[in-house]
Amino acid sequence: MPNPSPEFRYPLHWRLMDAVERIADLVWPRRLSRHTGWLFIAPALLLVGLLVLGLIQIADASLRTLDTSTFLMSEDWSTENYRKALSSSTYLTVAWRSLSAAVLTTVLTLILAFPYAWALVRVKKAWIRKALLITLFLPFFIGQVVRAYGWLIILGNSGMVNEALSLVGVTPMRLLFNYGAVVFGLVQYMLPFAVLLLVPALTAIPEETETAAGSLGASWPRILWHVLLPMAKPGLIGAGLVVFTLTLTDFAVPAMLGGGGQDFIANAIYDQFFRTADQGLGSALALILVAAGSVLVGLVFMIFGAGTLAMGGRK
Amino acid sequence: MMSFSQKITVWSLVWFSIITLSLPTLVVLGASLTAGNMVAFPPQGLSLQWYEKIALARDLQQAFLRSLIVAGICTLVAVPVGTLAGLALSRFRLRFTTAIQVYLLLPFTVPLIGSGIGLMLVFGEWHVLGSLWPVGMACAVINLPFIIWSVSSSAVLLDPDLELAAQNCGAGRVQTFLHVTLPAVMPGVITGGLLMFILAMNEFLVSLLLTDARIVTLPVLIYNSIRSIITPDLAAVSVVFIAIALAAIWLLDKLVGLEIFLKSK
Repeated sequence: MPNPSPEFRYPLHWRLMDAVERIADLVWPRRLSRHTGWLFIAPALLLVGLLVLGLIQIADASLRTLDTSTFLMSEDWSTENYRKALSSSTYLTVAWRSLSAAVLTTVLTLILAFPYAWALVRVKKAWIRKALLITLFLPFFIGQVVRAYGWLIILGNSGMVNEALSLVGVTPMRLLFNYGAVVFGLVQYMLPFAVLLLVPALTAIPEETETAAGSLGASWPRILWHVLLPMAKPGLIGAGLVVFTLTLTDFAVPAMLGGGGQDFIANAIYDQFFRTADQGLGSALALILVAAGSVLVGLVFMIFGAGTLAMGGRK
Repeated sequence: MMSFSQKITVWSLVWFSIITLSLPTLVVLGASLTAGNMVAFPPQGLSLQWYEKIALARDLQQAFLRSLIVAGICTLVAVPVGTLAGLALSRFRLRFTTAIQVYLLLPFTVPLIGSGIGLMLVFGEWHVLGSLWPVGMACAVINLPFIIWSVSSSAVLLDPDLELAAQNCGAGRVQTFLHVTLPAVMPGVITGGLLMFILAMNEFLVSLLLTDARIVTLPVLIYNSIRSIITPDLAAVSVVFIAIALAAIWLLDKLVGLEIFLKSK
């Protein structure tokens, strides 16, 4: 091997990279290489640890009762708050309202999201696909408050719809602050989530299967029922699950479009913390909601697998 | 081959979705341009007076700045953490993978109100409430699954032989990571990073719980300012969010292409 002349220098970025490699060898020696995966995942585990700490704090607070004369939390633990939360008819009404709205929203959202996702996957013209994608992403990226504000302008007592109706002589109606308005707002809010979770499942279905079923004489409702829906099941489960849990626990839409009369569980929890200042009862409610949500997600995972929610590719 | 009845059914449902999705945005845009003092229909002429008004409002400017800071912190924290986690889950053999996945899905399965209140109690205990970085950290925690998904779905597409080939040609570990692994997952990192920024910018409930009157972010300020009478200045503020959303979509399309969301898993 010929010796390089003494004035020969390797390019700067080579030497820089060599230095970096040497530092890496020093900090994380090669024999630790098989643990590199743990090194990579550690920050995420720590970050989510904040959330676990939070859940522990909630659990602790939920076991302390509020002394209404001093407004201090009790020193010793009791299950009083849970008893209160589970026996109160107010919370039962609120829980029932959230649950029924979540079911209704999930069904309506999937009915709207399925054809949208199908059109996105199957449409031939690139510009239509792009237009559909932009229409989907714009509200997704705008946020709940602004969207709800838009609905306030449209549906309010002196909003666009009522003003337009009064022009043709119809007396103004109360379109907002009822159950229907909340569900409608939620469907609009959840639609992009549902479509984005359905799309991978529909992409995985080759168009030929539909063509084959059609050429064998199946009408399109039969193709939909016997071919598309069964094959898209993982996506439907993933999307349905996400929509259901997000709806069940939503705060902004019931608060803004429900006008205080259509509170969901999250609003009841918020009120316990910031109106009644009973942290204990609020924490108990929050923990019940967390438990209910986790059990639900766990059950669906166990029965149907993680569907489109699995992280990482290894199966 | 679509039959006529199928065409009608599919496209009428799709059009209904398109209208429902776009209507609030269009109405907010329209309302912000009104010349009247109230949002009315039919509109009372065009003007930019509300933009002039919000441009001079100090509380709005500061809330906007705070939202930007929160979104910036969230992105700076979540992008490296989420990228490494996404790579670890898809490119390394870890033990207890299922347990880790369930654990990392916690921010997603725990309802926002639960995460928000839990973090509020933790940060309260640490006496750090009242500054902005806890809000940014909280946004990073609750949105972490989105960037992990986004990165790991890019990472599974990378052929592991490419990394071996690079090392065979003499590349060190850092060099392989920087020149082979990272570029391969870049679409996922960019998508995830944009998502982090946008979601934190719009985050409402967790901001509501973690901020007080001195450090409200813009979505919380809008929520607090909504009264029964609807005035167009809030519509003009909302247009700021619409503009940011449009910019993010444009960037996403430019850098990775919106079609990235259409591929199968």
